[in-house]
Amino acid sequence: MNRWLNGCVALLTVATLWLMSGVAPTWAEVGVTDKEIVVGAGLDLTGAVANWGVNIKAGMEAVFNRVNEAGGVHGRKIKLISYDHVYQPPKAVANAKRLVERDKVFIMMGHLGTPTTKAIKEYLEERQVPNIFPATLASLWATSGKWHVGDLATYADQTWLIIDYLVKERKLTKIASFYQDDEYGLDGHLAGKARLKQYGLDYIAEVDYKRADIDFSSQAAKLKESGAEAVILQAVYREPPRLAEQCHAIGYDPLFIGPSPIVLDKTIELGGKHVEGVIGVEVYPLPTDPGPFMDQYRADMQKYFPNLALDTTNLYGYQKAALFVELLQRTGRDLTRETLLQTVTTIKDWDPGWGLKYSYGGDDRRVMSRSARLVIVKDGKWTKMTDWFEVEEAKR
Amino acid sequence: MVEILASQVISGLATGCVYALVALGFVLIFKATDVVNFAQGEFVMASGFISYTLLIWYGLPYWGVFFITIVLSGFMGVALERVVVRPIMSAPIFSIVIATIGASTVMRSTAGIVYGYDVLPLPTIFSKDPIRLGVVTFTIMDVGVIGFSILIMLVLYLFFKWTKTGMAMRATAQSQTAAQLMGVSVKQIFSLTWAISAGIGGIAGVLIAPIIYLDPNLGVIGIKAFAGAILGGFGSIPGAIVGGMLLGVLENLSGYFFNAGIKQVSTYILLILVLIIRPNGLFGAVAIKKV
Repeated sequence: MNRWLNGCVALLTVATLWLMSGVAPTWAEVGVTDKEIVVGAGLDLTGAVANWGVNIKAGMEAVFNRVNEAGGVHGRKIKLISYDHVYQPPKAVANAKRLVERDKVFIMMGHLGTPTTKAIKEYLEERQVPNIFPATLASLWATSGKWHVGDLATYADQTWLIIDYLVKERKLTKIASFYQDDEYGLDGHLAGKARLKQYGLDYIAEVDYKRADIDFSSQAAKLKESGAEAVILQAVYREPPRLAEQCHAIGYDPLFIGPSPIVLDKTIELGGKHVEGVIGVEVYPLPTDPGPFMDQYRADMQKYFPNLALDTTNLYGYQKAALFVELLQRTGRDLTRETLLQTVTTIKDWDPGWGLKYSYGGDDRRVMSRSARLVIVKDGKWTKMTDWFEVEEAKR
Repeated sequence: MVEILASQVISGLATGCVYALVALGFVLIFKATDVVNFAQGEFVMASGFISYTLLIWYGLPYWGVFFITIVLSGFMGVALERVVVRPIMSAPIFSIVIATIGASTVMRSTAGIVYGYDVLPLPTIFSKDPIRLGVVTFTIMDVGVIGFSILIMLVLYLFFKWTKTGMAMRATAQSQTAAQLMGVSVKQIFSLTWAISAGIGGIAGVLIAPIIYLDPNLGVIGIKAFAGAILGGFGSIPGAIVGGMLLGVLENLSGYFFNAGIKQVSTYILLILVLIIRPNGLFGAVAIKKV
């Protein structure tokens, strides 16, 4: 009796272990089944840039919901699994492992944050998981090789545009840089320095802050002392209003200008009158701009997320997902990581319906767009200031 | 240069006053009950959200909101004491401290669930426009914060020195047994201590939230204030005040003379330095227990 019982237990254990070892459903590719594509995203949902994270997720889900309702792409529905990394690199790493190893995602989609995405970069390469259109426009992704594909003009490109505007249009020479002291801030900051050097200039002050910092009185003091006429903000949405407020509190009123992460309604909500006149770089249209793609965006957001206000933040996620769906569409039924990455290189002059075109920039510039323009806070709203440029590719 | 320094000192004093108030909350509870209440920072955060709710969702006038928030904070303190601390009062102090840490996590998550984790701007009647007076540039907000904090500290001082309840609290802090023998209801004094500490935290919250924007993670200010209290000598009320204010000013100055990185760690560098030179903090005294 005992031996029989022992035998049963042994058999049961072996069976359980065998089942757990991943006798998985037959997948032609990880994360892709006959009926479904599973994509993963690490986002900041409760931390320092939560406004971006929550909205990017909503924008992506709006596209996926619409596509799924129409039957999916080539018969496969898209499922998005996302985890919160609170804008902290160690958490991003833990979440990425979960997504890749436990949830077995096909690709990493729209991963938010430069320092956080940088933290998982090597892991994704090692695991051969494509990093598609991460929600970070650092120039790093343009030159990181096969497994990384960016979508829009980089922070480096944008800062070159800013410097050109300040030096050539506004004829300013006393330009300061206020930047987040990590890979995000440094990207634009160093690119700007290189561009200024081409004009025979340099930053008149370089003032940094630590990610998630909330008080900038010393930085404001240093900027005022330097006499800078313009301050370039390599920041997100909590810093510009606070910095502007603290500068104004000590009687200092320079021109504030910064790249795309500062262009969202939250900046204006927090800053009020202090951010009036702040200039930002946009690399995709405003949520109120015209076009069939924009109409679809507005309709989808209204349908799936009626409680979220239309903002550059959800449009950002929306356009990433739309571009990804186009990739899936073109790749066809034979969907693997290799075939998807191959399709990326075929995108040329594709306008989803908003007047701007996506084109693969080449192996040295794995980014899909060069479009940028300047916008300004006018009467409490981000307003178009210039027409669209095709930016020069920036080198740090 | 002098101008910049002066304005840095003033804004540092304003933040320092808020640290001082929170530190005061820590010390009051510690003196009376030997418990370090790590939910003190969350009282600040909660009061920020309560005032937000009353101001924005219900549209009540500012001064009304100010007082209602403080009262509600006081109730929150009593609630915390009754629900979390009193049932485990006989447990080792460390366990009670862990329980307060747990309470702080619960409070933070609740705020996140109700209000979301996005950052919210809180309006204030104190203007943030700059005023120049000679070499000094400051804002009415700075004056308001410093003024109010000093007023509260004065009120507390008078309360402890001249009122019967205040004396009863001091007596309980010195010796629970002796106070009980003199007819003081120690349980009531504990509740009152928690109420006052939470109320002070509430004031700190209302004063600081408009300065630094509101979000559920605001409670980390408690850690800084705790460092300030240790700096001044944990267990000493004037120490908590001086420690907090010193911290605020030194933080700003270190950010100005060095950089953002140093500013972030300046609190802890200062703490370590002071504790090396004066292990009991600036005003702390070594307690000599005579048997």
